[in-house]
Amino acid sequence: MTAPAESYNELVSRVNDLTAKLQESNEIIDSIRRGEVDAFIVQNNGKNEIYTLRSADKAYRLFIEKMNQGAVTLGANGVVVYANSSFAALVDTPLEQVIGRLFVDFIPDAERQQVIELIETAWQHLESRGEIILPGKDNGAIPVSLYLNQLEIDGGTALSIIASDLSLQKEAQEQKKEMEKKDEFITIASHELKTPVTSIKGYIQLLQFGFQQEGNNHAAELLGRVDSQINKLTGLISELLDTRKIENGQLPFHFEQFDFNGLLDEIVEETGRVIAQRLILEDRIPGISLFGDRNKIGQVITNFIDNAGKYSRPATDIIIRTSLNNGFLALSVKDFGIGIPKEQQAKIFERFFRVSGKKENTYSGLGLGLYISAEIVRRHEGRIGVESEEGKGSEFYFELPVAPVQNQQNSA
Amino acid sequence: MHDPKKIFVADDDTDILNIIRMILQTRGYSVVTSKNADELFSYAQCDLPELILIDIWMAGADGRDICSRLKKERLTSKIPIIFISANSHIATIAKDYLADGFIAKPFEMNFLLQTVKEHLCAS
Repeated sequence: MTAPAESYNELVSRVNDLTAKLQESNEIIDSIRRGEVDAFIVQNNGKNEIYTLRSADKAYRLFIEKMNQGAVTLGANGVVVYANSSFAALVDTPLEQVIGRLFVDFIPDAERQQVIELIETAWQHLESRGEIILPGKDNGAIPVSLYLNQLEIDGGTALSIIASDLSLQKEAQEQKKEMEKKDEFITIASHELKTPVTSIKGYIQLLQFGFQQEGNNHAAELLGRVDSQINKLTGLISELLDTRKIENGQLPFHFEQFDFNGLLDEIVEETGRVIAQRLILEDRIPGISLFGDRNKIGQVITNFIDNAGKYSRPATDIIIRTSLNNGFLALSVKDFGIGIPKEQQAKIFERFFRVSGKKENTYSGLGLGLYISAEIVRRHEGRIGVESEEGKGSEFYFELPVAPVQNQQNSA
Repeated sequence: MHDPKKIFVADDDTDILNIIRMILQTRGYSVVTSKNADELFSYAQCDLPELILIDIWMAGADGRDICSRLKKERLTSKIPIIFISANSHIATIAKDYLADGFIAKPFEMNFLLQTVKEHLCAS
């Protein structure tokens, strides 16, 4: 036998080697079982290939994979052990070439020192933050914020880095600012438009009062017409503003308990003065009171009556009815005008919708009144609708819930 | 004959100030106008009016602050204050700042006179 002692030593060493490898393998398997290993990096032809494991964390992994920010995990040696595709896109490198490389390799020279310091700070103080500029595609520099956080995973440590592309955030901020500017513009425009209208209306009414005192009824009547045109202008300004507010969810409501018949009388008196038709008030409910925004409900009734007047001939009837059904107060305004074609009835409460037909150019308005009315009724948890036949007329109605307090009073 | 009731009006728009003054004078009220809310506050301290009409959005001091300050002073706390504004949130603003009423711009002459009369009677 030749050199049996050497052979023995050789065998012992091989057994030790194999035992160590087995131990290592067992540790890896244990780590996988404990969920500590997310992926393997295997070198193949000089390229790093990553093999990720399916685990109970899959949902979180997918979440991180899909998020807009870049997410990176660094080992203690500064090597990227995990990165999502957003980060790969941010550094304009295929994902498989990101994993296994030093993080600082992706940072331009000018920013590298700062990033090295950020990494050191995060290791020492658990977290750090900074902003850097990455070159980006087509020489478009991307401002990026880095948030580094030390992670402790079952005794081991790693650094997580969230890299946020600030150009998107900055764009969103710009858009928000733009929106705020528009809102501010609307508020200022409202004030600036209404102020001269207030002056014109004020002087007109004073002149009208003066002429009335002198007995000059002709002049007073002419000024009355100017005044009603000013009211139309005010109405248009308000419609535009209300529409803008509905879009922003800012239409203000002022809820209170109010006498419905009082409101109805006021509106019939006011609108009766300006429309050329006969307003007939039928079926009123004595002592009915509602909980809602008095002015806004008045705006809906006025809108119904104005529309009825606009789309029917002078000296025809407009009939206003109120009724009470199952806790809902219903109000309808019926005219005998041009009516609305069936196919247009569903669209009538949409923004900027105007009844079209042969004579559409003869009807003024912005097509906002019914859109605003529908929103007002909706906010009162009511219903709005129309029944109409072309050539015969239309009947617009709303139904609003009656306040429970009032129901009790009525039934008492 | 009674002394005419004294009303203070503050608005930074000269035309609107004139209009309100002339409208109120048609009913014989005595009207003191100011384009400056701070000035109105000082006036109100030494020459108590029976009612105050104030624009909430003026250059310089804000009508809302003046209302809060007047409502805190012992001498002026009982004077009815009515906000005038083109702001569409005027109803809520008037409630929040404890104003006694509000008039939305543009206003009807008769509505202004009626509102003033109601608050003078109530006080």
